[in-house]
Amino acid sequence: MPKLLIVDDESDVREFAKNFFQKRKIDVLTASGGKEALSILEKETPDLMLLDVRMGELSGVDTLRTLRKQGNQVKIIMVTGVEDPEVISEVESLGVTGYVHKPLALDELEQIVMKELGRKE
Amino acid sequence: MLTKLNYKKELENASRGMILIHDPNLLIKLIIRLIVRKVHAKHAGVLLYQPEKDCYVLTISGGKEGMKIPPGFAKFKKDNPLVKLFTEKQYREQFAKKGYLVVSDLNKLIWQESVLASEKEKKEFLNSVIRQMGMFNVLTCVPSYFHNNLLALLLLGEKSTNEGYDQEELDFLSALASNVAMALQNSQLIDDLRKEVERNRILFINTTLSLASTIEAKDKYTRGHTERVTKYSMAVAEELSKSGKVDLPKKFLENLYIAGLLHDIGKIAVPEQILCKTDKLTDEEYDQIKEHPARGAEILKTLPEFEEPLKGVKHHHERYDGKGYPAGLKGEEIPLMAAVIAVADTFDAMTTDRPYRKALSHDEAREEISKNSGIQFNPFVAEAFAKLLKKGEI
Repeated sequence: MPKLLIVDDESDVREFAKNFFQKRKIDVLTASGGKEALSILEKETPDLMLLDVRMGELSGVDTLRTLRKQGNQVKIIMVTGVEDPEVISEVESLGVTGYVHKPLALDELEQIVMKELGRKE
Repeated sequence: MLTKLNYKKELENASRGMILIHDPNLLIKLIIRLIVRKVHAKHAGVLLYQPEKDCYVLTISGGKEGMKIPPGFAKFKKDNPLVKLFTEKQYREQFAKKGYLVVSDLNKLIWQESVLASEKEKKEFLNSVIRQMGMFNVLTCVPSYFHNNLLALLLLGEKSTNEGYDQEELDFLSALASNVAMALQNSQLIDDLRKEVERNRILFINTTLSLASTIEAKDKYTRGHTERVTKYSMAVAEELSKSGKVDLPKKFLENLYIAGLLHDIGKIAVPEQILCKTDKLTDEEYDQIKEHPARGAEILKTLPEFEEPLKGVKHHHERYDGKGYPAGLKGEEIPLMAAVIAVADTFDAMTTDRPYRKALSHDEAREEISKNSGIQFNPFVAEAFAKLLKKGEI
């Protein structure tokens, strides 16, 4: 089964998204912040990561930067709250698969995730 | 049976109470709580129309984690099939006539539609609606309309008993949905009203500024003087506030500002040759100038908005010892607004060049003010002014 890692500081979001993708036969891991995500990524190799930009201790961008520095090229879809051009340009240079903006159209999220996981809806 | 009756009573009481709540956010939160706790829905959420984004956003929700749609997470664009069903006339009339939508009804409809080949489009549409509802684990939707505009959409998951909602519950929910529409609409109206009031306030201030500039057109000296006096007055008022000796509400400061701008408006009634005379004034000429505070008050008397600032204008030449004009008010009889402007006005007169004498230095002016504290000026105001001068803030 394809593996998805969801990183978001809101537990509502993690649980809802986990439920959603599990129903679609995806194996889901969750992390409540950048630090937890990094420690999970030391052991696991998810096929795709949904990474929230705005998080407490270690922001989404910092997490991304750290991963790329470590040489981890895991596919990442950034989840942003506001369209922030600065964030976008920085993130582009670090290499992301795509972005979605909250509030998001769930069917669009589903489409992009399933596509990256090589799955048909 | 008895339990069911009590339950219905509870719902009824709850709905009666909710009519009194005007804040739409609070109302919606309470409804969600009611639906989750009393009606035992696994989860419930409300989509609210956001004009800035021109779409519907799931803004408030409650229920089991994992099922409940996180607030601010999901949006429904206007072309989303579920939204279209409630907003497009043809669909609304066909499928949402009852005022609510239940997934099982849709399934029934599809089974009926599939019999007719020509209804393929309709079947596809209904399937797409069912799919949207499925994505969010929604069993039932209840719309909130105001004049045919969909303002909100209540989404409900199944009950914890895995049952659906009975007719009475659905009717009750529809009633709540209307309350929500009303609350949303009213809240919008209040917002619009506030904006209108603010616009009027700005218009008023701008008109006052225009009025103030008319004095300056006539008298060259007055230009800049009005601005400075107003600036000094506001600074003194702030100092007085800080000292804690007086309590100055925001309205007082607003009125002081206006009084400051208009304190010399009465000069418009003074003949130009007297106003701009460079030689010494005769007694009669001086008397005419002394009329400007009273004349100013007369001009402003006609407008109710100027009722308070009027006091500042009329009495800005009174003296603490009662020897001022026009009313000869004494001591605390002099409105504070006027007392403040009096010091500011005198200070500016002292520190600007006149045809018959040079300007005094700040220090010299400060000494004059302190000397006249309790005589010409209100002692608190004089003290505050002197303090500001010492601190170099003026």
